Amino acid sequence: MTEDRELDIWREQWSNVAEPPAGFQRKVLQRIKRQERRFVLGNVLSVIAFLGILVFAWVMRHQSSWMGTGWPISVCVLVFIAAGIRIWVLRRTWRPETQSTRAFVELWRKRVAARIQLLRISLYLSIGWLIFCAALMAVNWPIIGQDARAHPKEWVALLIVCVLMQPVLLWYGAGWLRRRKLAELNEVTKILNEMDRIDVS
Amino acid sequence: MSERRDLQAQFERILSEHGAAISRLAFGYETVASVREELVQDIALAIWQALAHFRGDCSERTFVYRIAHNRGLSHVWKRRPPHQPLEEMEESDQPIDPRPHPEEQAAQTNQRARLMSAIQSLPVAHRQMIVLMLEGLSHAQVAEVLGITENNVAVRLNRARNMLKDALGERP
Repeated sequence: MTEDRELDIWREQWSNVAEPPAGFQRKVLQRIKRQERRFVLGNVLSVIAFLGILVFAWVMRHQSSWMGTGWPISVCVLVFIAAGIRIWVLRRTWRPETQSTRAFVELWRKRVAARIQLLRISLYLSIGWLIFCAALMAVNWPIIGQDARAHPKEWVALLIVCVLMQPVLLWYGAGWLRRRKLAELNEVTKILNEMDRIDVS
Repeated sequence: MSERRDLQAQFERILSEHGAAISRLAFGYETVASVREELVQDIALAIWQALAHFRGDCSERTFVYRIAHNRGLSHVWKRRPPHQPLEEMEESDQPIDPRPHPEEQAAQTNQRARLMSAIQSLPVAHRQMIVLMLEGLSHAQVAEVLGITENNVAVRLNRARNMLKDALGERP
């Protein structure tokens, strides 16, 4: 069999492989609408949450302790810092779909590496946050101490929730995510190496 | 508002013109029908998201194929299914052939299933090459989709073709 005849047969078989699923266009358009609604809703909720924290800080400004204003303002600062770091670390890693496969895989690798870096920064940020909260508590101890002595059970519960939940949620969660991202990085590197090997051989 | 309407009209036209090709490309990356349908939708969604930024620096076909392959590649990572052997290929995946003779129809379906199984057993880079070749893209277009030189396309294509023959058991 000549090569071209063989190719023709393969092409004929291939051309009959699949048709778009029934109602394909309608389903896609519905998904686009759903995604756009989710996007708008997500943005609105983020703005509401941020404004809520600001309003809370404003309402608490007359508190005698730092705790009242310090906590919500620090949350706002934390949100700003986290968003800034995220934008900085993930810069130039968006919209890779339109590029050639090679460029896409390279960008994919860069994106995964950026996410791993982001996880590491998040971990440092969470440790910094814990230290900040501890310092805030120490400065306000004369007021907090009285309350803690009056309601020891509630304070122990609060301490457990605040101090233990962070390592459990962040460190274990971040650890799991990091392992996943490292595996993805290995896989992407493998795909890139496979491309290089083909090019070299 | 009218810009969005134009974009939507262009998108719907792209889906009508290239819908079948997108489905075939998805076949190269996913064997399970229900998941493949999701993948086809994902590809279409990615095309929609990228369409506003499409400035015509390549043909529309190349643009669609690039997105489809890149999405397929990320899908392979997410799913990483083990290669599905021929006997497990779903009957429902095969479109009904209008040929009158059932034996001929069965033989053709079997050949198609063999080809699909063989393509899916290839490494991703070779698989892409074969799929683009079967879609009838020129060397220049394949080079544009994959981001390699035309010379490289010829070398890779030859290798991918030999691998496909091996997978089909057609080489001595």
